[in-house]
Amino acid sequence: MMDFGAHITTRRGSRDGNIVPMINVVFLLLVFFLMTAQITPPEPIDVRPPSSLADPSETLPEGVLFIAADGSLAFETTRGEAVFSHLPTDAPLAIRADREVDAQALAALLPRLAALGVSDVTLLTEAP
Amino acid sequence: MIDVVFLLLVFFMLAARFTLDGAISVSGPSGQLEAYAGPPRLIDISPDDTRLNGRMVENLAVELNALTESSDDTILLRPVDGAPLQRLVDVMELLESAGFTGLVLVE
Repeated sequence: MMDFGAHITTRRGSRDGNIVPMINVVFLLLVFFLMTAQITPPEPIDVRPPSSLADPSETLPEGVLFIAADGSLAFETTRGEAVFSHLPTDAPLAIRADREVDAQALAALLPRLAALGVSDVTLLTEAP
Repeated sequence: MIDVVFLLLVFFMLAARFTLDGAISVSGPSGQLEAYAGPPRLIDISPDDTRLNGRMVENLAVELNALTESSDDTILLRPVDGAPLQRLVDVMELLESAGFTGLVLVE
């Protein structure tokens, strides 16, 4: 007669022994993702940036001006024309504009930003 | 508990943004146009084609080389006829890969 009972208990025992290192690894991964995840605030308006192969910049400006496909503006909590009075002056500004936005509107925006003291403007793109 | 930990792990894996956004520096006409020198270099960007000084060109980079003395000479980019931003970014990328750095966006 074969002793199945003893066989099963030894197998279960070895499985319990294997799960502890696995939990360790999972905890390690969890801590890694907790540390590396940068909590990004949700985008105020839906934007699909233009695709390009441009290198990501090392230091991204704090402020990001969003421009939706229909040309509407959003900066932090302000919308529309009110953004111009809330933009940080004399600081670099990133623009996250939709790929369908009229480029002429962007060209018209730059002198307006320059008049406010915002001259260092970066256009954000995404990798294709 | 392990289930919860796994759930958190999956959440952070999905929520983490690994892809960094690319960045293209754009400059407006302020202060740059005083320093403009040499022959006109105006690129009209319409939704369907790109024109250098109003005429269609075969190879934009080669034609611009003949019009520039150095790679940081000012080159004017003018989007027309409601060209989408993607077109502008494509042209800027093309010119920057050709080595031109003095791109100025005008209206």
